[in-house]
Amino acid sequence: MDDPKGSTAGAAVAAKDLSVYVPEAKRKPGEIGITVITFLLGAFGYYFALDMTSGEYSSPSVFPKFASTLIMACSAVNFWKAVRRERPDASAPSLAQYLLPMDVLVVLSLLVIYCVALPHLRFIGSSYAFMVAGMVYLQRGKHIVRALLISAGSLAVLVAVFRYLFLVILP
Amino acid sequence: MEQNLQYFLIPFLNWDMMLLIWVGVFAGIWVGAIPGLSVTMAASLLISFTFSWDLNNALALICGVFVGGVYGGSITAILLNIPGAPAAIATGIEGYPLAQLGEAGKAIGLCTTVSVFASFVGILVLAVAAPVVANFSLKFSPRDFFLLAVMGVLLIGSIGGGDPIKGITAGAIGVLLSMVGMDPSTGELRYTFGNIYLMAGISFVTAMIGLFGVSEALTQFRNAGKGSPKQNLDKIIPSWATFIKYLPLSIRSSLLGVFIGALPGTGGDVAALLAYDQAKRSVRHPSRPFGTGAYEGIVAPETANKGAIGGAFIPMLTLGIPGDAVTAIIIGALYIHGLKPGPMLMIETPHLFWMIVSCLSIASIALMVLGLVSVKPFSKIIEIPKSIIMPVVIILSVIGTYAIQNSVVDIFYMIGFGIIGYFMRLYGYATGPMVLGLILGPMLDANYRRAMQGAENQLLPFLEGFFTSPISLVLTLSIVFLLFSQTKTYRRWRGIS
Repeated sequence: MDDPKGSTAGAAVAAKDLSVYVPEAKRKPGEIGITVITFLLGAFGYYFALDMTSGEYSSPSVFPKFASTLIMACSAVNFWKAVRRERPDASAPSLAQYLLPMDVLVVLSLLVIYCVALPHLRFIGSSYAFMVAGMVYLQRGKHIVRALLISAGSLAVLVAVFRYLFLVILP
Repeated sequence: MEQNLQYFLIPFLNWDMMLLIWVGVFAGIWVGAIPGLSVTMAASLLISFTFSWDLNNALALICGVFVGGVYGGSITAILLNIPGAPAAIATGIEGYPLAQLGEAGKAIGLCTTVSVFASFVGILVLAVAAPVVANFSLKFSPRDFFLLAVMGVLLIGSIGGGDPIKGITAGAIGVLLSMVGMDPSTGELRYTFGNIYLMAGISFVTAMIGLFGVSEALTQFRNAGKGSPKQNLDKIIPSWATFIKYLPLSIRSSLLGVFIGALPGTGGDVAALLAYDQAKRSVRHPSRPFGTGAYEGIVAPETANKGAIGGAFIPMLTLGIPGDAVTAIIIGALYIHGLKPGPMLMIETPHLFWMIVSCLSIASIALMVLGLVSVKPFSKIIEIPKSIIMPVVIILSVIGTYAIQNSVVDIFYMIGFGIIGYFMRLYGYATGPMVLGLILGPMLDANYRRAMQGAENQLLPFLEGFFTSPISLVLTLSIVFLLFSQTKTYRRWRGIS
């Protein structure tokens, strides 16, 4: 149990899977943009905190202003650090490819459709459709019958356990 | 003394109670393992259907669920990087890399063993020192709770990943989001923009499920080509030597957990994070570097959150003040059964005190057996192909989120947080600090303002209090030490890598 130094590198890679597309030393596509977004979030936070009661050290606006200022200050540092990093190579993925590879894009789209369908198809219908569609897509169109059966089985177990055993109300 | 022993033995000699404790632990493990389904929720459900039961049996079941539930939260944190409860966030930081290395079985085995040890530490303190600890915890003023929350904020350095500034950014965003809703002190609306759904604020459990659960699923889809790691399940029970090796850390973290658990309003989540942080600072030669699967990073938070169980009962049984949400529900159960929790409870009904101590002890034994038996089936979950397990995880997250307050809007929030968490991970912003900010934000805000009002809104008396009150002074010095311990000078001096 206590050995494991040899596999440390493997663990580190596992923990940093997301960076496989762009080397750590290089600036990632959109990295400057994200610092601008967080800075704007801080600025909006501060702006709307001005509407809150203030004037005393214990006013409701104290912490919102403090947190907003901290976000802006840190974002400025992050921006500076991002600008100083080496630009990505020409072979680096585009912003869209980096943020939303096809699998993620499809699953996100399914999630959005699921959210829209949930109030109309209710929990069982929409969840079943989501699970089947997700499994079929992620298995590249293979094992459709297996996906249908596993989704039905999983959903049956979930409903039985949550609705009838734990008495949890389902959406 | 002899009479106390008789009270203590009641559950051991009563088969109904014994069975209910074991059932409670088993159910608790599964409830705790599912993000969004909390021990608090399970305990409140149990109150409703044990209403007509004998009080002893009802308490036996609730104690079992409590112990099992706190443990269960760590299982999904280790296997899927999705903590079943906030108290398991720190466990996932080291547990998940271990699962990726095929050591999920060993990680859960160690987690089970040290959890049982820590439960007994908590029970022991409850049995022998409850009144002393309870009286001490009552001496904490709002300023002290504020300082405690500041100590919590300093954990961002530990759980914030490689870049501390990005960690602080995420933490500050979490604090800002925790301000959304109605200010509990004045009723003023903050950042609600006239939206009725924002008035109740953003539940940190909803955010946690999204930031850990959905974002993890999306991250997995990004690497869909990677196979699931094969798990080595040959040796899941840690050796005696391993247990002894981690014993000093287990004792330190358990006692920290007991004390944090005994403070009203704080619980296993804060205790686990503080313990993880102190392990990271104090362990010179971890089994692996922290963040890549250090067993010490499992031992510390797991012992702290289990120690907090016994701790939470201390103010409840001695003063009638709940240590956390579950003990608040148990107080409700006692009222329902005609008892009046408060300082007289231990004098008028000593059997109740010793029976709870006994129920918790049996629950810890049950946890050892059921926890170790469950290791192999649980570990197999991680070997299921991602294309099958991840859609199920998303649906589980949906059920768990909806169960918090039966609101479809919460599901949308959760998915929104999942997408934000996914983007955060892409750019090296750890999601843990944001959840930490959401948990600690209200504690910081409320206690700072109460302390400032106590100082009549004068800055100088407020600051003076940090040095004139003994508890505040100790906490202030601890914060200074924590800050100093993050410097390279200290790490070089201590030889910490």
